Amino acid sequence: MIFEELLFFAICFIVMAICLFYRLIKGPSAADRAVTADCLDALTDMALILFALYSGRSVFLDLALITAILGFLGSVITSRYLEGRL
Amino acid sequence: MNKKRTMPGIISTAILCFIFWMIITGQIVAVFTGGASLQSIVIGLIVSILVGWFSSLFLINDSPFYLWMPARLVNLIGYIFITLPVAIFKANVDVAKRALSPHPKINPGIVKIPVDVSSDYGMALVADSITLTPGTVTMDIVEENGQTYYYVHWIDVETTDPAEAGEIIKGTFERKVKGIWG
Amino acid sequence: MRIVIDILIFMGVFFAFAGTVGMIRFPDTFNRIHASGMITTMGIIGVIVGGILYCAFYLGDGAMVVKLVIMLVFYLITGPISSHAIMKGSYKHGVKPEKEMVIDQYGEDMVMEEEE
Repeated sequence: MIFEELLFFAICFIVMAICLFYRLIKGPSAADRAVTADCLDALTDMALILFALYSGRSVFLDLALITAILGFLGSVITSRYLEGRL
Repeated sequence: MNKKRTMPGIISTAILCFIFWMIITGQIVAVFTGGASLQSIVIGLIVSILVGWFSSLFLINDSPFYLWMPARLVNLIGYIFITLPVAIFKANVDVAKRALSPHPKINPGIVKIPVDVSSDYGMALVADSITLTPGTVTMDIVEENGQTYYYVHWIDVETTDPAEAGEIIKGTFERKVKGIWG
Repeated sequence: MRIVIDILIFMGVFFAFAGTVGMIRFPDTFNRIHASGMITTMGIIGVIVGGILYCAFYLGDGAMVVKLVIMLVFYLITGPISSHAIMKGSYKHGVKPEKEMVIDQYGEDMVMEEEE
């Protein structure tokens, strides 16, 4: 049995991520860009999970886990820099 | 912050790390089906003891078997699997309504609420629960005259009275966490 | 079972869509952080719980279930930490709210400490 709708939902996530580029480019301050980068990370992760389920290969799950860890480190380090304690 | 490394803390942190190593490398399945590699298990043991010595100051410091009582364990499991998802779902519906309505109805503000939980783990759990529900984000924790206060950024300030705002934001969380960590 | 999985994943898509709309429409940084919290809690929970059911009932792959559970726990632990860090960092950085706040006790207390 093939779940075609998983691919459709993954495309929905990618479209949302592309819409968020508006905020990434325009965002008035650096904090806005940090929040948007966090969101982009989560959206890309969900698309990767859905594609891993669709294709049945677990390599994409490893990629999603690595993306999650790097995104968390990036947002925490950016906020430390904004706070002035780096 | 002058904590000392204690032997039970190091051992329990090392056991926790070793369980995670076994799960992530897939050895825990191989032990039961046969064909577990001795090399991988020994390396995991050495690394987890090193990590346990290094990070027992931050994770498990004293009384490692505090949670090992049935009443507290049942309360914790009920909190994680029932109380938290229900609160998260309600808050999500509320914020989604605000985001999708034609005229966004928001009046943000920062309120200061008193909290009765005294232990470190309890305070961290309540603050994480407040932040995990969209619409409220904990900004800072301060202690004045023996009473702990949180500063919370709230997307829709209904009342500016500290006790009432605290009841709305963290009433259920605090009552449940008191049964676990006092 | 297929309907349950579809409903869970669609719930994740809906809340992620609401979060995206909120990210673009809300007026200042602090409110955008609330919208971002909506993506990283309900979107992730919906997609991953649906994925766990799909892996367990259709693929029959135990390793993928374990990886998904690890990812769910990781997101639920680190989501609050990063949103708290960004909120405090942007406040200390001096980001001004677009719309006047109803009450700002944090700023008042910081001013009082500096005077002392």
